Amino acid sequence: MRKSDNTLLRWLGLAALAALVAALPFIVHPYQLIFLIFLLINIILVVSYRFVTITGEWSLIHVVMMGVGAYTSAILAKDLDLSVWLAMPLGGVAAALIAYVLSFPLFRMKGFYFLIGSFAAGEAIRLTWNQFREPFGGPKGIKLIPSPELTLPGLETIDLTFPPINYYFLTAIIMALCLWIMYRLEKSRIGLTLNAIHWKDVLAESVGVDVWRYRMLAFVTGSFFAGIAGALLAHYIGTINPDRFGLAMMLYVLVWTIVGGTATFAGPIIGVVALSVLDEAFRAFDQFRPAIYGVLLILTVRFLPNGLEALPAKLLGLRDRLTGGPRTAAERPRPASGGE
Amino acid sequence: MKGLGVNRRQFLGGTAAGLALAGSTKLTRRAFAADKVVRIGFLAPLTGEVAAWGLPGLYGCQIWAEQVNAAGGVNINGEPHRIEFSSYDDEYLADKALQGAQKLVLEDDVKFIMMLGGDPWPGVQPFANRAKMLVSTLLPSDLSPDTPYLIAPAEVHPIYNVTGVEWLAEQRPELKTVAMCAQEDALGLPSIATYRAAFEAAGIDIVYDKFFDISTTDFAPIMTAMLASNPDIICLDTAYPDFVNLLTEQAFLQGFKGQMISCTCDNYQQIVDKTSPEFMEGFVFQFPDFDDPAMQQEQINFSNPKAFYETYQSRYPGTWSAVSWEYAAIMEQWKNAAEKAGSVEPLDVLEAMTEGGKGQHVFGPATWWGEELFGIDNALVGDWPVVAIRDGKAQIQEFRSIPAWWDKHKDLLLKHMSDLGQLWDQRT
Repeated sequence: MRKSDNTLLRWLGLAALAALVAALPFIVHPYQLIFLIFLLINIILVVSYRFVTITGEWSLIHVVMMGVGAYTSAILAKDLDLSVWLAMPLGGVAAALIAYVLSFPLFRMKGFYFLIGSFAAGEAIRLTWNQFREPFGGPKGIKLIPSPELTLPGLETIDLTFPPINYYFLTAIIMALCLWIMYRLEKSRIGLTLNAIHWKDVLAESVGVDVWRYRMLAFVTGSFFAGIAGALLAHYIGTINPDRFGLAMMLYVLVWTIVGGTATFAGPIIGVVALSVLDEAFRAFDQFRPAIYGVLLILTVRFLPNGLEALPAKLLGLRDRLTGGPRTAAERPRPASGGE
Repeated sequence: MKGLGVNRRQFLGGTAAGLALAGSTKLTRRAFAADKVVRIGFLAPLTGEVAAWGLPGLYGCQIWAEQVNAAGGVNINGEPHRIEFSSYDDEYLADKALQGAQKLVLEDDVKFIMMLGGDPWPGVQPFANRAKMLVSTLLPSDLSPDTPYLIAPAEVHPIYNVTGVEWLAEQRPELKTVAMCAQEDALGLPSIATYRAAFEAAGIDIVYDKFFDISTTDFAPIMTAMLASNPDIICLDTAYPDFVNLLTEQAFLQGFKGQMISCTCDNYQQIVDKTSPEFMEGFVFQFPDFDDPAMQQEQINFSNPKAFYETYQSRYPGTWSAVSWEYAAIMEQWKNAAEKAGSVEPLDVLEAMTEGGKGQHVFGPATWWGEELFGIDNALVGDWPVVAIRDGKAQIQEFRSIPAWWDKHKDLLLKHMSDLGQLWDQRT
């Protein structure tokens, strides 16, 4: 297949995906629309988390960075009467700034030590929200966070959180923008350097790559988008508290990312979509839901150690075995490590 | 299947039996298809750390519904309506609660939603207001002038705790000092404020009074610090069930010989087993067993509490707790109001329930109250039982009036609530 054909197919695929995202609110039940809004927010969260992990460092602070964005945007909009439209990007900026400051102590560590260090730093931030009732609201957090409004000339002001379809499209647009920026960054020279640091950091350093700086860049960029996700969450539900950004939520992010796979850009998206839909589908089982969810996780990790993104290759391999003999290399799908 | 001790044949047989049972359930449902059904939403944590204050409530509601449906259901203008519950696990998260509330209202068409309240409520509030949906909470601190459709008809946590302190002070006037602790959260803060007011009103000195972090797992140092103040009374405030369990165990292990008091003492039998009947003798808390002789009196507004308790205990042994009966008690009030209104529509039921500012609380006649604390009179308050463990079994000692205490000491309570930022206009 020629390169131009590939590009055409890719654009067609994206157009189909965009059409699906645009059509979904008119197909699903109203309550499922709320589920989709949170799903879109979580997609930004996991993709931004993967951006941090490209350098090979896994952190436990990402959900707290989401919280930094949420708290900053909420306080700016509620206490300082700043426009929500300005407060939301500033939420992302605040998360990026905190990440920048934290990168000085944190990137003195690597691997497991970085993981633990990031957890400790995250807990310190979260407990600060818990301890100070002004301005963070203490354990109860912040309530009555203003929602974004849109005033069009000659029309009434629209509250974008109600009906939920307004917020769905707002979130979808912001998500598309965030994903596009992260994708472009990953495909750029910066992304290649981040990958190089992941696989051969000593070698990269020996040829003049400033490893610390690039790790910091990935951490700051990922945190910025996590902050945006947090701001979107805060202005939709209108309330946040420290528990919302605790270790339990971070474990969900880890599971979504690992189950989806981190080799490709689409991996964590597949993970969060598949597991969230499954989780919702098992709602009827009430307290047994986590157990069912857990069994599915174990099965996935056992039979698909490279994540759900490796499923097509696995299925085609199975077909080859059943139909006798492997197909030609040109027919075989690329393994899940191409960064697509 | 070896690890499970089940062979293939047993597994297939079990599966077939399960399918047959599922099929028969479907037939039973069809047989009832002619009846009218009222759906009630149960939106509370069913998994996670706070599930202990959600799941037993759902069990209780299911038993209550079985008993009510067997007796003919809810009678609306002469027509019987069967009660069915739709549950949604809010995981004690505001976003999940919002999602759940929308599902219950828009998909399941529920006429009333019961919540635990607390952190998830602010996520639901705007939607509940828009949908004019009647919602109940177990935590009246969720109430404010902006919550016209939210009611707290079962308990006025933590205000009823004053009855336990007042009773204790009268029974044991020799007790002069108290040490207390609570987790610093939406439950602990108003509860500490209430206990401070109650002990001050009773003339008991508070010699230790500290919050601990909700993520605490080691309670030995906390109990050591409390005992170092040499108190006559240890007060565990409204600690979560696991915390009460661990703190009590620590008090026992560290040789405390004095009086203990707490808001709840869920699964107290386990605590008695872990400590000793002698240690737990006289432990004061606020939630009775429903087989208590005092619960069989005429003023109790709950159908056949003893049968309810016995069914619960046989079906879910060892899980009876403060919330096992509370949601069911709310349903009892809802049923009475719906029958009185001749309608199951939320606003009709709310009007019937609050008519004249008086109502029937589970423990007897009560008043809709709360303006000064919550900014709205949507909390039902009346008598509340003081419970103490006697010979290893919880026994109601007395019903005490919350309004009577409030009339005498409300300035104290308002002061302490205000100090901790717990008045409705202080809650951000």
